[in-house]
Amino acid sequence: MADYSRRLPVYLLLDCSGSMMGEPIEAVRQGIKALLSELRGDPQALETAYLSVITFDSQARQIIPLTELMQFKEPELRAGGATALGAALEVLLECVNSEVRKSTETQKGDWRPLVFILTDGSPTDTAAFERAVQNIKSAKIANIVACAAGSNARTEHLKRITDNVLMMNTLSAGDMAQFFAWVSGSIKMSSKSLDAKPGMPLRLPPPPQGFVIVP
Amino acid sequence: MDGVAEAVLSDGQKIPYVIRKDPPRGGMKYTYFAPDRSYVVQFFNDPDQARDPNLRRRLEAIIGKYNPTRSEEQGGAPGGSEAMAAYFAEKFCWPTAIVEQPEFGIVCPAYPSNYFFSDNASSVPELSADLRGKDKRSKWFTSPRLRRYMREQELGDFRSMLQMSISLARSIRRMHQAGLAHSDLSCNNVLVDPQTGGCVVIDIDSLVVPGLYPPEVIGTGGYIAPEVLETTALPFGDPGRKLPSTYTDLHALAVLLYEYLLLRHPLCGPASYAEDPEEDDYLCMGPKALFIEHPQDTRNRPQGLGLTIRDMGPGLEGLFLRAFVDGLHCPDARPAAMEWEKALVRAWDLLQPCENPDCAAGWFIFHDLRRPVCPFCGRPVSRENIVRLRLRSQLRGRPGQWAGAGEVNLYHNMPLFGWHMLSGCFPDEKADRRMLAYVCRYQGQWLLVNHAAAGMLSPGGSLVPAGQAILLKDGAVFRMSGGERGYLAEVVRGSWADGQCAAR
Repeated sequence: MADYSRRLPVYLLLDCSGSMMGEPIEAVRQGIKALLSELRGDPQALETAYLSVITFDSQARQIIPLTELMQFKEPELRAGGATALGAALEVLLECVNSEVRKSTETQKGDWRPLVFILTDGSPTDTAAFERAVQNIKSAKIANIVACAAGSNARTEHLKRITDNVLMMNTLSAGDMAQFFAWVSGSIKMSSKSLDAKPGMPLRLPPPPQGFVIVP
Repeated sequence: MDGVAEAVLSDGQKIPYVIRKDPPRGGMKYTYFAPDRSYVVQFFNDPDQARDPNLRRRLEAIIGKYNPTRSEEQGGAPGGSEAMAAYFAEKFCWPTAIVEQPEFGIVCPAYPSNYFFSDNASSVPELSADLRGKDKRSKWFTSPRLRRYMREQELGDFRSMLQMSISLARSIRRMHQAGLAHSDLSCNNVLVDPQTGGCVVIDIDSLVVPGLYPPEVIGTGGYIAPEVLETTALPFGDPGRKLPSTYTDLHALAVLLYEYLLLRHPLCGPASYAEDPEEDDYLCMGPKALFIEHPQDTRNRPQGLGLTIRDMGPGLEGLFLRAFVDGLHCPDARPAAMEWEKALVRAWDLLQPCENPDCAAGWFIFHDLRRPVCPFCGRPVSRENIVRLRLRSQLRGRPGQWAGAGEVNLYHNMPLFGWHMLSGCFPDEKADRRMLAYVCRYQGQWLLVNHAAAGMLSPGGSLVPAGQAILLKDGAVFRMSGGERGYLAEVVRGSWADGQCAAR
C-alpha cells in the first residue's frame, strides 16, 4: 500500500566558529548523538521526523541532507573561523525549497519544517544576514527556534529571525546536553500534536532550568 | 544525584520514591519510580492544574467507587468481586492513591515488565539499545515502516493482534459500563505486548466521570473524534464545543482496533483538501474525514489496499462500516464497546491457522467456507483441515426447538471452554476459564476430546465421559453438554470440489 504519511523535516543549524573549539563542539557532537537516540526510541518521531544538519563558520554548508533517522550518520564537526549565520540561513532556504515536499495529487506534502539554530556569537556576514532575514520572514517557511549560547551570544539578531529565542548562559557540556534533550522533546511533541487545529502557535515543552526565553 | 523522597498519601501512609534529575515527562505529568519499581508516583506539570478542586474530586471518584481494579469490599466498584478486580488489574494501570505531600499527585501501579522492551527488540542493534526499557506503544507494531525494524518474535501474529483487540474492547466496555470515558485513548495510552496478546490501558487520571466537571483534554492527533476536532476553536464552556465522552472514545477505539487488525490508519488516504499541511490534516481528520474503505466514496482509497475489512468477516466488517461510514460524523451511530467485544470474540472463534509456514500473519479469520484461502498470503486451506461446529441452543421453555448460536472453527490442539458448550456463557471477566474439551487431529481423523464437560453425548446419544472423544465426521450432530443450556453441535467438514479453492 502506498504511504500517505507526512514527514516532519528538522534542520539543525550549528555554529562551528572558532569560539566553539574544544569542549563546546564536543558537547554538540554528544548532543546530536543523544538526540538521535532519544528520537529513535519514540515511535512517532521515528516514523515522521527527518533530520538535516547545516553548519556554519566562515562559510555555511549542509553537511547532512534531510535523512530519515534510521539512516542518519553522525556528522563530523570541526570548529574554526567566523560566524556566517547569514550564509547558513541562505543554505537553509535553498534546502527547504529543494528538499521539503509539497502536496501533489499523488503525495502528501511534508509538515512545516522545524529549525533549531544554535550560535554562540553574532553574525559576521551582515549583508547576507539582512537578505536572509527578509526572505525567511516573508516566506514563513518554517517554525524556527534559536538558541543563543554562552556569554558572547547576542539575542537581538536572533529575535529578527524568530519569536522563539532561548538563551543559555554557558557552553558547558551539561547545558548543551540539556539543550539537545529539550530539542528532542520539542520534536517529539511536534510529531504527536501535528494534527491539532491549524494556525495554533508552535507548542514547545518548557525550556530546561537555567535557560531563559527571550521575550 | 538520585535520592529517595517520601510521598504522604491521603490516608497518612508514607511511601518512598526515587528522585531523579530528568524524570520521564508526559503531556500532563512527570513520573518517579518506587525504589523496587513496583509503583510510580506522578506529579502534574502545571501546578495550577494540581490545585484544581475538580481534579481532586475526579481522582477520588476514579480511585474509589469507579475503580474496577478493586473489589467492592475493598472500596472499589459496586458488584466487583475479588476475581473480577484481579482480572481488570491486569488490563488497566489504574491510580491507587492520591499523594498530598510534597504536593498533589497520584500513585499508580507499574506496568508489568512484558510491556517494556527488553534487549534485542530490533534487528538493528542501535535501535535495540534506544528501545531498551521503553514502553511498548502500539505504533511500533502497527506502522509498517516501524515493523520493518522490529524482530519477528516481537511482532506476534494476527492471532495475538486479535487477542489484544478483544482485551482493549473489553477494558473500554468495562469503563463505559460504569459511565466513565477515557477521553484520551490513543496509541500512546494503550501499551501492548503482541507476543502475549496483552494490552494495558494507561493514563486513567483524565477520565470523564459522570456528574463531575470534565477534564480539559482534547485527545491525541489521529484519535480525536471529528466533532471534537471541529469545535476545538470554541471556548471550553461554549455549548457548541464537543468534549471527550464515551462517544469520542468509541471513535478512538475503532481507530485502534482497525490499526491492530489491518496495520494502517482508517482515515489516512490520498484525499487532500488544502495545500497547507496543517489545514489539510485538520480537514482530513475533522470536517472532511473519509474512511479509506468507504464502499461508495472511493476518493480516499489508497492504491494497493491489500487486506480489507471484508477479510475480517461480516460481523467486524459491519461494525467498521458503522464506525467509519455511518458514525464518523454521527457519534450516536458508532458501535458500542460491548458490540466490538462480542464481534471480536466471534471472530476469534473463526480463527484458522495458515498452512504457509512463511505467512507473517500465521492465522486468519476463516469466515466464508466458500473461500478457504488465507487473505494475508493467498495459501488455500487443505480440504482435510476444514472442521467447523455449528452451534444451536435450545429455546427457553420450548424443548426441541433450537436456534443458531454461532460457529466455531476447529484446529489441532484447540481448547474449548464453557462458552462453546453452554448458552448464556460469555468469555468475559466473570467467565470460568477452565478448559472443558479440546480438538485433536489423530491419525488423519479429527476428534473432540472431552476433558471436563458434563453430559457430552455422542452422535448416537451415548454419554462421552472425560477422556473419551467424539469423531468429527461431516454432518454429525451431538450434544456438547448436558442440561437445558447445553449446545447442540453439527459438524461441517471441507466438502467442496477442489476447483473452488482456486476461485479467488
